[in-house]
Amino acid sequence: MKKLTICAVLILFSAVTVFAAGPDAALADKAKAEGKVTFYANITSVEPILADFTKRSGVKAEYTRLSTTKFIATILTEHAAGKLTADVLQAPMPVLELLKEKGVLASYTSPASSGYPKWANTDGKIQSFGIEYVALIYNRELVKPADVPKKYEDLTDPKWKGKIVMADPSSHATTISWLVGLKENVIKSDAEWMKFLKGLAANRPMFVASFGPTPAPIESGEKLIGISMPKYIITKAPAPLSWAQVSQPMLGTPRGMAIAAGAPHPNAARLFVDYWLAKDSMKILAEKVGEYVLAPGVYPPIAGIDKAKVIPIRELSDDEIKKWGGEFKKIFETAK
Amino acid sequence: MHKNRSALTPSLIAIVGFLTVCPVVMLVLGSFSQGLGAFGTFTTAKYVQAYTDPAFAEILVNTAIFIAGSAVVATLLALFLAYLNTRTNIPGKSLFGIISLIPMMVPHILFAASWVLLLNPSNGMLNLVLRQLGWEGAALSIYTLTGMILVEGLLDMPIAYLVIAPAMSAFDVALEESSRVSGAANLRTLTRITLPVLRPAILAAATLVVVRSLASFAVPSVIGMPGRIYVLATHIYRVVATGYAADYGLAAAVGMSALAASIILIFLYRRLTSEGEKYVTISSRGYRPAVIDLKGARYPLFGIVAVLSFVLIVLPVLVLIYTSLVPYSMVPSARAFAMMSARHWTAVLNDPVSLLSLKNSLILGVGGATLGICLSFFVSYVIVKVRTRAAGLLESLSFLSFSFPGIVVGIGFMWFFVQTPLYATIWALLIGYIATYLPYGIRPLTSAFVQVHGHLEESSRVSGAGPLTTMRRIVLPLLVPGIVSGWILMATMFVRELSLSVVLSRPGTEVLAVQILRFSEDGLWGRLSALGIIMIFISTGLVAAATWIGKTFTKVEK
Repeated sequence: MKKLTICAVLILFSAVTVFAAGPDAALADKAKAEGKVTFYANITSVEPILADFTKRSGVKAEYTRLSTTKFIATILTEHAAGKLTADVLQAPMPVLELLKEKGVLASYTSPASSGYPKWANTDGKIQSFGIEYVALIYNRELVKPADVPKKYEDLTDPKWKGKIVMADPSSHATTISWLVGLKENVIKSDAEWMKFLKGLAANRPMFVASFGPTPAPIESGEKLIGISMPKYIITKAPAPLSWAQVSQPMLGTPRGMAIAAGAPHPNAARLFVDYWLAKDSMKILAEKVGEYVLAPGVYPPIAGIDKAKVIPIRELSDDEIKKWGGEFKKIFETAK
Repeated sequence: MHKNRSALTPSLIAIVGFLTVCPVVMLVLGSFSQGLGAFGTFTTAKYVQAYTDPAFAEILVNTAIFIAGSAVVATLLALFLAYLNTRTNIPGKSLFGIISLIPMMVPHILFAASWVLLLNPSNGMLNLVLRQLGWEGAALSIYTLTGMILVEGLLDMPIAYLVIAPAMSAFDVALEESSRVSGAANLRTLTRITLPVLRPAILAAATLVVVRSLASFAVPSVIGMPGRIYVLATHIYRVVATGYAADYGLAAAVGMSALAASIILIFLYRRLTSEGEKYVTISSRGYRPAVIDLKGARYPLFGIVAVLSFVLIVLPVLVLIYTSLVPYSMVPSARAFAMMSARHWTAVLNDPVSLLSLKNSLILGVGGATLGICLSFFVSYVIVKVRTRAAGLLESLSFLSFSFPGIVVGIGFMWFFVQTPLYATIWALLIGYIATYLPYGIRPLTSAFVQVHGHLEESSRVSGAGPLTTMRRIVLPLLVPGIVSGWILMATMFVRELSLSVVLSRPGTEVLAVQILRFSEDGLWGRLSALGIIMIFISTGLVAAATWIGKTFTKVEK
């Protein structure tokens, strides 16, 4: 971690100089001449980052927010009609991989990413900057400290029967990937993993459509615990939410970004990516929205997160997600 | 008018056809294409996949119960309320009139979420109250098919109300008087005379509710999913949402069954109301709506309506107000009330995107409804008065995009608009709204038109008035209640429209419902409720304005 911190300081320093007046002052001028950058994403509360970018660079940042289920459909439709107005795209990794396959993404490696982990950019196109981390979130007013799960498998304890909320494991891609991630990274044998799934299913969790509706029933006490995201501890404060600090690592899908091929404002796009990956903006993302970011040394202000191990889940193809979705449907819908 | 009629029908078919067929054609193309777009190599694989799913049979059964139940709940409630509000001397009419419309003004996810807070089996407020009252272990659950029907029925009740109420108020009282003179009591007159004559309006209302609940997503997802009860709309969602590359061609293939069901329904409706003459109630003589004296039943009925309105409509709205004031979702308690603040309101009112979306939605609501009603007026005229095969085609066309489940039809419009220069402009939203919700204008207007006898127009023309003068002086004034209803339906729908908006709105053209969806995706229920309440206020304002304009119109013409 120390090494990372030193790196971070160095990168921050270089990023700031790059941004201010460094060798790429030319980029800033060109971007300013283009006047505008269009950002397609589905991420919460990034308006302060965009406003700060506009203020510093004089380039207007416009945010087009697309729902996850409409993201690929919209971008491919616009791309095919030659009407894609996006300069920069941000999405979960599997989405960007698919867009890369369809030739929607341009190559760019930002100098601001040099302190990021190696796995976060392998193709010179997509840069991961965070992980949509998943954890067991519970109501700290209603769950006694002694009852808080110490490992994921504790969720199969019959005391949680009828008290769990989670996104539908037969259709919600991130939850499906998380369950598969447990098998591949956390739980030792396939038999134990299956035991975990069946135990969880037997506790009759309540299903909702996605992560968005998971925290409300926990806050209100309708349910006590859920498979959800720690970032809600920040965005929903002062709700009595905490995360179960299990002994195992946390898992999540990487969030990536890339510049669109044929971006109408290519220089502004680069300037924006450089700015986004720099420590200041990542800090806003971590502190205001509770995101887990890859910028070295930056953590969301949630107790224990800086010590936690967070692993990116292997990218599952859509076919795999559908296959596992079907399996989970059988396991969860037949459970008594 | 005959000369104009010949040109009117084909040109209307062209306009309505263009509006509604284009997106549907794109969806049909997509459903037969390989890959994710509207154009690709021909394949029937998506239909095979859609209709060989072993879970599909159960989903169809659930869907049938859900839509039939919702239609019954909505239509019966609407009949009851419309009758009392338009035909009797029940106290508090204008209040009940507005309350009956509130469910239409609330974003549906919010109304459904309110019911979850009221009636979830763990700590729903009503269950807590019942437990306090001594019913130990009370655990009424909203997460059931009955719960879904109740909430969807309530949400769609205003649609039925707005179709039925104008027909009720245009009722020729002479019919009822003859019945009473012949010795029939009020109740018997109601069941033997009033209801049968209103058949077109009642069927029109039920048809609309069936089609709407078939396309509805909010109740099936917020209430059905936690109860693991899946209907067509949530099934389509699961098809689309599993994996990252949503296949809308496949979703469209599933959606075709909804389209087929709707077309059959429209056909049945036309058959059941084919003898239009039977339902004419405003002919040349003695038209005046009369008020029935409820006598002793006045206050008991008032009590029933008051309790119903309170439990079914006012209570969920109170929950919204409460949710907008507490910092997070919490069960009411002394502590919750102590923690109340205006923070969600401040956040919403200081958010430039929320304010812009307020403005856009208001423009789209007023402008869209006005244009939509003009088009609906001519379409309804042709449907009712021309009644040729072409008129039947026109009626079916008007239902095309309306019949598709919301998550699918938006994509159809996107596939269509991206081929035009209108893409990503507010005009795309305007045109899409009118095209999709045309039945909201046409239904109340046709059921109003049905009651106006051709003799009236003929008398006017014999007296030397031209077709336009006849339209303006005779037909229009009699249709005012229908026009007002249709305008209200369209305007409030456009203010809370989500299915198309979520796909077509872009920076600068944000609308209320999209902003609400974002808050809900982020789990920010407080802000969501605050914006929802603002939406109710805007819609109430629109309803009040429309009603007032309608009233002054009829007064002047009398």
